[in-house]
Amino acid sequence: MSPPPTRKTSAAAPGLVAARHTATRATWWHLAMIVAALVWLLPMLWMLSLALSDNATLSQGVTGLIPRDFTLDNVFGVFSVGLTSRWFLNSAIVAIVTTVLTVLLCAMAGYAFARIEFPGRTFVYATVLAGLMIPKEAMFIPLFTMVADAEMHNTYAALVLPRIAAPLGVFLMTQFFSKIPLEMEEAARVDGAGPWRTFFSIMLPLATPGMFALGIFTFVQTWNDYLWPLVSATKSEMFTITTGLASLQGNFAQATELGSLMARGLVGSLPLLIIFLLFQRHLIRGISMTSGGK
Amino acid sequence: MNTIALVQFLQRGKPEGKESMTLTLDQAAQATRKRPPRLPRKRRSQAGLKYGFAFVAPFAVLYLVFVLYPVLQAAQMSFFDWDLLGSVREFIGLENYERMLWGVDIQWSITNLFWWRIGVLALVAVLLVGPIKRRHISVWSVAGVLGLLGVFVALGFAPGKDGYWYDPTFWIALQNTLLFTAISTPIIALLGLVMALALQGQRRGSRWYQMAFFLPYILPVSVVTLIWTYFLSPGQGLLAQILTPLGIDPIPWLSDSNTALTAVIITTIWWTVGFNLVMFAAGLQDVDKSLYEAASLDGAGPWRKFVSVTLPGIRHVILLVMVMQAIASFQVFGQVNIMTGGGPGTSTEVLIRHIYQTGFRDFELGYASAMSLFLFALMLIVSVVQMRFLGKDDTK
Repeated sequence: MSPPPTRKTSAAAPGLVAARHTATRATWWHLAMIVAALVWLLPMLWMLSLALSDNATLSQGVTGLIPRDFTLDNVFGVFSVGLTSRWFLNSAIVAIVTTVLTVLLCAMAGYAFARIEFPGRTFVYATVLAGLMIPKEAMFIPLFTMVADAEMHNTYAALVLPRIAAPLGVFLMTQFFSKIPLEMEEAARVDGAGPWRTFFSIMLPLATPGMFALGIFTFVQTWNDYLWPLVSATKSEMFTITTGLASLQGNFAQATELGSLMARGLVGSLPLLIIFLLFQRHLIRGISMTSGGK
Repeated sequence: MNTIALVQFLQRGKPEGKESMTLTLDQAAQATRKRPPRLPRKRRSQAGLKYGFAFVAPFAVLYLVFVLYPVLQAAQMSFFDWDLLGSVREFIGLENYERMLWGVDIQWSITNLFWWRIGVLALVAVLLVGPIKRRHISVWSVAGVLGLLGVFVALGFAPGKDGYWYDPTFWIALQNTLLFTAISTPIIALLGLVMALALQGQRRGSRWYQMAFFLPYILPVSVVTLIWTYFLSPGQGLLAQILTPLGIDPIPWLSDSNTALTAVIITTIWWTVGFNLVMFAAGLQDVDKSLYEAASLDGAGPWRKFVSVTLPGIRHVILLVMVMQAIASFQVFGQVNIMTGGGPGTSTEVLIRHIYQTGFRDFELGYASAMSLFLFALMLIVSVVQMRFLGKDDTK
């Protein structure tokens, strides 16, 4: 949150009154935005404060925005007590494997739809696009019986596989590949590279920005998925951090462990917060891509 | 998720939009045609077949198994009395659907849900104004009007004296889901637009504010509910502590059946507005800057510019946000399941939760499948209708 850009305007503008007018407006704008952003983030700041407060003090019922009896015990305790570290690991495995496979398979299919002419392409592509209309959230009952018939419940495969078949990813990658100039591919082909080699050493590197955006989007979505892990993993050792945290909220007595509960939530969202801070542009790009823009 | 592209693709075989919303298939096909042939035609298409399928196959297999097959499976299961524990699998025809939609001694009366149905009629009238004025009635406007009249008739059915629905919870869940969608969708879209407008332009720092508003969207639903359950708690919550000095007594948001749905909606708004803010921000960037200058030269004020330049310019984004948000709202589950468990009573029961309970508490998978298909059909109808009526001018 940088200071308002007053210097530049007032120095550059010939009309001093007008400049001052813009400067005050900018200041007010920033002030309003800072207040709005703080209000918006208030619940999260409060969570942070609770996670850093002593459990015993919290159980007396006093909470505020400033941590009471500041302690890091809750945060460090997350990994030593209960199954939280296991859930964290599960989430990491599921989210990473899902992301890598989704991006790779969607890129391959997208490349074929965008660049390889084969009979039935339009039909197959239209079928894939039709899948955009099928909501996974409303189709979890048949998915459940399928996975049950294969005796795959409480496995990583059950958590990962249904998530990979993402028509949206294929749609995005098809768009992306079709915008890459043909010459690049031509050059590779002239040099005698086969389709696989062309794809892996020429096209994939060129599509990195699109794959990155899709990958980050997929990672966040997978980490946050709630309904499918809830349905497919019944043993608490196979919970993801999202379903695990949800199960804790029902079990914990009112406020006895409020601080450590909040600390678990904080740690559970930590990978996403880090990704957000590092790759914020890519994430936003992924979202803009889903809207078909850019 | 991206139904717009699909609808356009199915309609005309090619996508909408200037350069961004391209389906690329035609483009790619054209480009391929332009390319000088390097192989004899037959050999090339054989190679294309081989590699085309090799590249698509891994995805296609998973797609068939985990996306297309489940829909067929759901359709099949919905005609069965299908027990989760596997002891019963009996074909019962349409009984699941009858149980879902019908009851004992159901009567039709003109007064049932009177005001809601007057509202539907008003909507029909509004829809008719345009076509009648232009003296051009399309198949779609007829279908839309007939559909709404169907809704008007259907809303007239209610259990008569001593009558009851076979599954009253289904109707309550449907009502709550529609209410949740109808309230949260416009608020989230409008708030997202207002925020995007406030952050419009390349002012220094606006990216930071955008990040702040977007941040909640990346949190898992269980963290969001964790924060808000306690934030709203009348005993320890921060909200109560802020409001008490202002003379407002703590509100038992989640344990009062009058406020529970509102609390869930507030939570959802906070959680998802950032997504829409980003979509609107991207849309606003695409609006032609020279149009604003032209409008300024014509002496247009900020409001006039907003109505005449901005709104038409982001029309397709508004449409997309509304459709995506509505579809997402139909699928609301996590917040409700964790925060209220559908209660107090049935005041926050929603469709997905009812399906979930039917399947995994009552073990009735056949019936749960029937409701899944109903929800699917509902979402399909809403998205197609919305596309047609809102996107109309776009497709010209």
